[in-house]
Amino acid sequence: MTKKFLFVKFIAALFILNGCSNPTKFASENRDPFEKINRNVFQFNKYVDQKIISPISKTYVKKVPTKIRSGVSNHLQWMDTPNTIINSALQTDMENTILASAKFLLNGLTLGFYDLDKGETVIKKRDFGSTLARLNVSEGPFLMVPLIGPKTTRDLTGTILDRQNMATLSSNSIDDLNLAEVPINIIDKRSKMSKTLDNIYLSADPYVKVRSFYLQNRRNEIYSEKYIENKNNNLDAEFEKLLD
Amino acid sequence: MIFNVNINKSLSDNLKMGESTIQQMILEAQKHAIDTVKLEPNERSLKIELLIKKYINLDFMSKATTGSFWKKASEIQKEKYKAALLKQIVITIEDHLNTLATLSYKPIKSERRGKKLIYVRGLIEDPNKKKPDINLLWKLAANKNGSFLILDLEIEGISLVSSQKAEALSILRKNRGNFDTLLNKMTRDN
Repeated sequence: MTKKFLFVKFIAALFILNGCSNPTKFASENRDPFEKINRNVFQFNKYVDQKIISPISKTYVKKVPTKIRSGVSNHLQWMDTPNTIINSALQTDMENTILASAKFLLNGLTLGFYDLDKGETVIKKRDFGSTLARLNVSEGPFLMVPLIGPKTTRDLTGTILDRQNMATLSSNSIDDLNLAEVPINIIDKRSKMSKTLDNIYLSADPYVKVRSFYLQNRRNEIYSEKYIENKNNNLDAEFEKLLD
Repeated sequence: MIFNVNINKSLSDNLKMGESTIQQMILEAQKHAIDTVKLEPNERSLKIELLIKKYINLDFMSKATTGSFWKKASEIQKEKYKAALLKQIVITIEDHLNTLATLSYKPIKSERRGKKLIYVRGLIEDPNKKKPDINLLWKLAANKNGSFLILDLEIEGISLVSSQKAEALSILRKNRGNFDTLLNKMTRDN
């Protein structure tokens, strides 16, 4: 009971931090009031990544055959599909809900280790962060979360709620399995982003680069075509001015 | 009426030129990936640098990524910045060149934007369907000679110019517009 109450308080605090009042505030990339703390967390994450995660991930790529790695990767994606199903339904994206459900059931025959439809069905990944965005909750300040990485307050709230969802839906044994999969998930993701991350570390200001990459990619993923068109129009005007 | 037809013809010509510029570049890059695989790293970088220089508008990218600070920089600083920026682009492309050689490029759509810009959208796909598709958006404009050059590239919504601009401006603002600090940071590890 106390645990649940604390959880509700934590989510409420994140919402307050989020400043739910104005959904259009996402336009500024520099909404980073916690930059000083974020930079310290980034340094910590970078240290952990370079000393622990990166070497393990390199060994993983070297020693584990591609087929097994791709199986693990498929399984991790499959485990995450219920979140996509729930959030697609919440966002009234029925096509994605049906496709994700069908794919989840089909690949469930192999526990998700093998993609039986061979990538033919394209599913848009949906999480609670994107559902909150649909509900016009502003993205809030940028956060660098220890061991997790870049997030906005809205996406961090979404991630916590997604985890809660899975815990409520799944049985205890699946929940334990989920816990064991967290480190595997990190290694799997790191192995896929190896070159990109190593390149980021070499840049003039890796923290700003990560922030910029994350925010641009996330906004592109979750906002409507109208937002993207607006962003492009602003950039076009800037480009034309420079070309004159 | 005739005037309208001419405008439409020149628009479709421009779009075709924009599209073929991108396709040509991708083909050359894929050929480069195979031809240069046995070369020494420095030699390979040099070849890739020449290829990129041919297709991008480096002057524009430098101006666009440094904002109002560009005007305050000296000619030497400007040249050094352009070289550092080019080097960064070369490193990024080099890292993905071998992968690019195994994938295929599919043009999706091109459109005219405003008076000068052209957007060319395309998709990088894995013929074996083992890797997810990558959405690309190239922004081009014609130079004085009439040939199209790349101003920006967006990969899955991440703009090369926007991310470089965020980085450069953050350093310049923190150092009161000191271009040398930016240049030192950019060339520190390369």
